[in-house]
Amino acid sequence: MRQQVTDHKKAIIPILPWWAGGLAVGVVLLVAVALIQPIGVSTQYVVLDGVLLHSLFPEAAENSPYLKAAGKEWTLATYEFLFVVGIPIGAFLAATVTNRFSMRVVPSIWAERFGPAPVKRLIWSFVGGFLLLFGARFGGGCTSGHMISGVSQLAVSSFAFSAALFASAILTARWLYPEREER
Amino acid sequence: MTLLLGLVLGAVFGAILQLSGASSYTKIIGTLRLRDFTIMKLIITAIGVGLIGVHALDAVGVAHMKVKDLYVPGIVVAGLIFGVGFAVTGYCPGTALAAAAEGKPDAWMTIVGGLCGALTFAFLWPDLESSLASLGGFGPVTIHESLGINGLVIALPLGVLCLWGAVKLPEGRAT
Repeated sequence: MRQQVTDHKKAIIPILPWWAGGLAVGVVLLVAVALIQPIGVSTQYVVLDGVLLHSLFPEAAENSPYLKAAGKEWTLATYEFLFVVGIPIGAFLAATVTNRFSMRVVPSIWAERFGPAPVKRLIWSFVGGFLLLFGARFGGGCTSGHMISGVSQLAVSSFAFSAALFASAILTARWLYPEREER
Repeated sequence: MTLLLGLVLGAVFGAILQLSGASSYTKIIGTLRLRDFTIMKLIITAIGVGLIGVHALDAVGVAHMKVKDLYVPGIVVAGLIFGVGFAVTGYCPGTALAAAAEGKPDAWMTIVGGLCGALTFAFLWPDLESSLASLGGFGPVTIHESLGINGLVIALPLGVLCLWGAVKLPEGRAT
């Protein structure tokens, strides 16, 4: 048990220092911009929704102008979708090679604050994920599309989205984890 | 060929997110509680490199730009909603995929919730488009174009400022 706890803790410590990670993300963005287009993730959630819905209920999918516009020919064989498919593949390989693959359900700081019940964490993860993609689609992008790609292009919408995002995320985190009075 | 490039570039991106701790709930919550600034330093570095690099590529005419539309109340509301989801899950749409691949079941639930949220949005879109998203629409505006100057004039100093800030920002404060 104790061994497991230390393994979880170890898996949190980054292998790459911040500057190497930041530099590498920047280089990925530049390669993408030079060859194809800026990076983005959240649109592909809609694309997958559209393709899944189209295979189950073609009419419902055809009736949504938004799904139709995102899904193009209802195919997943696009550069954009494969970029997003690559993310878990790369992360899996990186976690496996560095021995940091871990099936923990409840993060330790969540367990300290809200208890170790897995169901509670999973339900809130679902709710949070719902808000995350609803907001991303409404705003037209997420952390990669707006904050990294958009701000780099000096897009006004991306500055506005990022500022609102951080303000609300910091307030929410403070509400979830109140600061203790004594320091 | 383009498809393969997408897969490889995505895999490199995913590996970086994993190795640098960006897919960790603990690191993200530490960032949002303003206790652990390593992910903040990472993001600012990436933006600094991006600002200078993207506009340098644009100056030599090889950048494929794609600027998102500005619609003032809508984009702020969207950011606020996203921020709540970000703090509750500890993941963003990209890092959730990385965390899920590391074996985290809560990241799987985040993705399932995200697919539902995106689908709900898709069906609400016709109504939202005619209301909130059509208010204060300015199209794909950028700072430099609205000022009528070359992007590098702003991107270079701002990028240097980001890189300088990333170095100067402390790694964190004691908990």
